[in-house]
Amino acid sequence: MRRLLVTVGMAVALSACVQTKQYADVEFAPPQGDYQLLVMRPDVTVGSVTTGGMVEPRADWTDTARANIIAALKAQQANRGGKTFILESRDGLASRGVTGEQVAELERLHYAVGSSIALHRYAGANLPTKRGKGLDWTLGEDAVALGRKTGFDYALFLHAEDSFASTGRVALQVLGVAGCVVGFCAPTIGGGGQFAYASLVDLRTGQVVWFNVLQTGTQIAGINMGDIRKPEGAATMVERLLDRMKPGKNVRRAQQAQSR
Amino acid sequence: MSAVLNRRSLLAGGGAAVAGLATGVAQARILPRDMVPLVGPGHRPIDKDEQGMWQQMERVEAEIADSNLLIKDSALNSYLRDLIGKVGGPATKDMRIYLARIPEFNAMMFPTGFSVVFSGLLLRMRNEAQLAGVIAHESAHFLRRHQIRQWRDMRKKTDLLAIGTMLAGMAGGAAGVYVGDYARLAQLGAILSILRYSRTLEAEADAMSVKLLADAGYSPNAMSQTWQQLIGEMDASAAYRRKNRDRSYSLFATHPSPEARMADLRVSASEVTVPGRAYDDYRARYLQAIGSIRPMMIDDQVKLNDPGASQYIVETLAQDGWNGLLRFAEAEIWRLRNRAGDDARAAAGYSAAVRYPDAPADAWRWHGIMLQKSGNRAEAKAAYQRYLTIAPNAPDAPFIRQQLQFL
Repeated sequence: MRRLLVTVGMAVALSACVQTKQYADVEFAPPQGDYQLLVMRPDVTVGSVTTGGMVEPRADWTDTARANIIAALKAQQANRGGKTFILESRDGLASRGVTGEQVAELERLHYAVGSSIALHRYAGANLPTKRGKGLDWTLGEDAVALGRKTGFDYALFLHAEDSFASTGRVALQVLGVAGCVVGFCAPTIGGGGQFAYASLVDLRTGQVVWFNVLQTGTQIAGINMGDIRKPEGAATMVERLLDRMKPGKNVRRAQQAQSR
Repeated sequence: MSAVLNRRSLLAGGGAAVAGLATGVAQARILPRDMVPLVGPGHRPIDKDEQGMWQQMERVEAEIADSNLLIKDSALNSYLRDLIGKVGGPATKDMRIYLARIPEFNAMMFPTGFSVVFSGLLLRMRNEAQLAGVIAHESAHFLRRHQIRQWRDMRKKTDLLAIGTMLAGMAGGAAGVYVGDYARLAQLGAILSILRYSRTLEAEADAMSVKLLADAGYSPNAMSQTWQQLIGEMDASAAYRRKNRDRSYSLFATHPSPEARMADLRVSASEVTVPGRAYDDYRARYLQAIGSIRPMMIDDQVKLNDPGASQYIVETLAQDGWNGLLRFAEAEIWRLRNRAGDDARAAAGYSAAVRYPDAPADAWRWHGIMLQKSGNRAEAKAAYQRYLTIAPNAPDAPFIRQQLQFL
């Protein structure tokens, strides 16, 4: 029995985690001081994990979480000195001469580029041509044109998903743990967790200069590592995702050389 | 295989489970008269799960609405809007329709009431009644709330499976019996049951489409004709590749088999037909509506490198009469197929095409090339000149003019 509990305890300890992994352009210096940041339409989805393990999207939770994340983002950027403009709809830049279609096009382009970054930086399909180059992807002239027209220095693309175990899922989890007593142990059925990524594009060069992926989750249904439906949970996610921007390799080296 | 569960008991249990859950190899036909709409005009989601689904679909629709795959022809789009207005039942005003340039036989309805129709569908339809039938089928998915019903069915079955597996595991654990094989069997049963429900919903949409068609004054037989054409095309495509048509195991299919659908549609059509009432297929109106994009759609199909299917489509459309465009398409299929003797067939095809007043410019161009290849210089020259008269700004016009100097 004791041995069993130790195993369960280890499983619990191992399965609850928060992970981030960021990449930066070798010359990247985190934006500081007086800069203008454009946040492209944040893509937020919140759902409920059914007893059977499917994620059911929830409109009300999604709306709340989206508002919370936007508020948290504005506060976080103000701390760094930046002025933030959140693009709520694709027509939000019409007064500055950028059509909704151009915004949508850039978002689609970023989706393609971001997928490539995910594949070649995160999924393990590393490219020999990109070795040692940090983050070496660009949105090209379209992004530069957007920056020129609107005066923004950076564009931030944000995607966040969160899900919560339903009562049924939690009950199932309780059964799974209780079953350990009779010799049928299913302590890690899983359910709920966050996945988010942020991508920073320098609108003066078009380069994707910084990219970060956040994953939090437990394999125990019912334990949450954050709740973006609440303001503090959204602030935690924004902090985890954006607050620990590391400079690029060359910049870091230069800083080290200086301090020596 | 575990010692506890021998093969015989697994087979017996499996047979019973599968028979119990998925007796749907030959499902009973769903009657058109039972297909009453489940939504009225201005339907909005009230339940949480449906609200979540709608919110996601709003984003999907925004993406689709300005996709560069859409065919923007405004006359054609308003024609399609009118059409969904005729067969959309009580929700006609709530539905949207988008036409995408994809050379495949397909159309789909999304949970919020917008439908996407592929250009490959418009190419294959011989008249407005056939197209209205497919659109009515898609409308029925919305009117019968199929997407949310499918989601709820899936949720219920996966929930039951999860609970059942857990309880069985615990019971097995307590009794010291390994139940993993039964759990996997139950999983298969759940999958089969979910797929069976999907087929039931498709059958519902088929039954309702026939009713919507007849109510709108279209020939209700149009739907079964469409399926007959689809079966013929799949067979022709497979035959060219010297293969048998892929008949996927029906237990694992999301849709009923085309043969079953065609048979049911035929019976349903006779059921809803009112004796003495006149039904029309509105062929002339249809051809006029798609006229501007028909050459493009045929060209897209021909370039799919599926000569069996392409030839079947051209021949099917030609049952209503040959014209220059169809003759040209036939010749193009032969030229690109490039089997022994196909060059001569293609040459004959181009020369047949140019006899029709509606022959496309390219038919004259290829007619000229074929004549030039066979050494028939005077006629080739005439054909090229005709080509330049019809298409003076064609991309290869300067090249053709240069060719003319040598003829």
